Amino acid sequence: MRKFLLAAGVAALAIATPAFADKGGGGHGGGNGGGGGQKADRAQGGGGQSMKAERGNGGGHQMRQMSNDSGGNGKDHGGGGKAMRQASGDIRAHGHGAQKDLRQAQAHAMREQKSHGNAGHAMREMRADNHRRVEDKNRGLARIEHPRDDNYGQVRIVRRDFNDGLRGLANNCPPGLDKKDNGCLPPGQAAKLLGARLQSNFAETLLPYQYRSWYRDDQQHFYRAGDGYIYQVNRSNNLIDGLIPLFGSGNYYSLGDQWPQSYDFYNVPYQYRDYYADTGGYDYRYSDGAIYRLNSNSGVIDGIVALLAGDLGVGQQLPMGYDAYNVPLDYRDRYYDTADNWYRYNDGYIYQVDPKTRLISAVINAIV
Amino acid sequence: MRPALTIFAVASAFGLAGCGSNSDNQSAPKSEAARDAAGDKTIASGLGDGDRKFADAAKAAGLDATLAGPGPYTVLVPTDAAFDKLPAGALDTLMKAEARPQLTKVLTGHILPGAILTADIAKAIDNSKGKATLATVGNGTLTATREGGKIVLSDAAGGKAVIGAADDKRSNGVVHHIDGVLMPS
Repeated sequence: MRKFLLAAGVAALAIATPAFADKGGGGHGGGNGGGGGQKADRAQGGGGQSMKAERGNGGGHQMRQMSNDSGGNGKDHGGGGKAMRQASGDIRAHGHGAQKDLRQAQAHAMREQKSHGNAGHAMREMRADNHRRVEDKNRGLARIEHPRDDNYGQVRIVRRDFNDGLRGLANNCPPGLDKKDNGCLPPGQAAKLLGARLQSNFAETLLPYQYRSWYRDDQQHFYRAGDGYIYQVNRSNNLIDGLIPLFGSGNYYSLGDQWPQSYDFYNVPYQYRDYYADTGGYDYRYSDGAIYRLNSNSGVIDGIVALLAGDLGVGQQLPMGYDAYNVPLDYRDRYYDTADNWYRYNDGYIYQVDPKTRLISAVINAIV
Repeated sequence: MRPALTIFAVASAFGLAGCGSNSDNQSAPKSEAARDAAGDKTIASGLGDGDRKFADAAKAAGLDATLAGPGPYTVLVPTDAAFDKLPAGALDTLMKAEARPQLTKVLTGHILPGAILTADIAKAIDNSKGKATLATVGNGTLTATREGGKIVLSDAAGGKAVIGAADDKRSNGVVHHIDGVLMPS
């Protein structure tokens, strides 16, 4: 078991920095300013206007500002007094450090409350050349420090939530089946949900394991699942801004296909958002295991930029097909199989696995 | 996520898709930091003379962008000779516009998540009593066994392919050449 020395005064709880609340606006200051105008040619489904406005918003400047704010100020995250008290309790239990870390920890705890046991990752980490992994066996938490990126000195928690799967899973609709009587909404009905209020019994529903690192609650949206879809819900009005079918059409789209209007909102999984932001004449959309590149004027697919296996998630058993060590070459010096820990890669993340139980115990924000 | 096979109507081939009026399709869009990160020794750029059919098929499916992206992926590339072993006309049929979803599914059955070296496959075979399973990004699984010192991959349809020239490390993954085309179930 590899152990690292703790830096003195480092808080035990992590900081969530929802710096990238609206990645759709354009990753690095090249915001899609003419969003509304440019897309006039493309008909949009219900809620399209609000989605366009969102994408037109926020250039890089706004996002960077948010990142500074949320780093040091728990207020940005909303949440009730209860969450604050709970956060304080946790912090006392850990016996931590600096005031800055305390505020960050509170912010994180409030996000935990809101996201109901979301694996609790911070927003996407910059690609760091050096990670230091610290394991706190008493609490079952792994802390990762990133000395070289913008979040230097901050610590991100990766939580083992073994019981997550028992709480409110999305309907496990069989792929390709969208008949009414099996609990999954047909696409036509689903499309009508755009701009509607989220069904109340979905408000607490966790996303399926493998999607929790992909769609993280942030300042603008939270994500819930039900009836075969993931819903992107706008915090300001609790209306559904977008839908992501859990099983989609069950097929890959072809070059030249038109992206379906009902799902035409920026839904690239978080870990890929810095690479694939809607700018430069291209839009990016995720469906069923692939990130597609669209011509932003026509909405026509002109390439597949990434393939996602969607197989691994914290708290579940390592599925079939991951017998072989597959950690990317640059990370092998840090994450290699031992008798106590295995590491497996999926979709931008390296996961830690207990070899005896085959349980995926932690995720490490790595690659993209 | 198990893709079922249906056929999409394809409005047009690449030609239209390539004619964005406000984008320069020759250069990487600035938003694709991925392309910079992957460097110039990507899986896509490493496909050589004996990999033409795979490269053409990948391009037809739009996967050339994937193989030039950040990945990382482990790609089992059937050589041109491997494609020649398919029944007469099979590849032509697959390359038709209306067969695009099937073509994409066949190709993604050759792409594995992460970077897997043959040593890793061999170790998995040993640890799994002679038979290891490998997941593809297309949600299929391949079985890996060892026969006569070589690694043999079997697909869901019962087809087999042997790994030949292997462990070509690229900036965004690893390439192994195989002598057969693997088929999804």
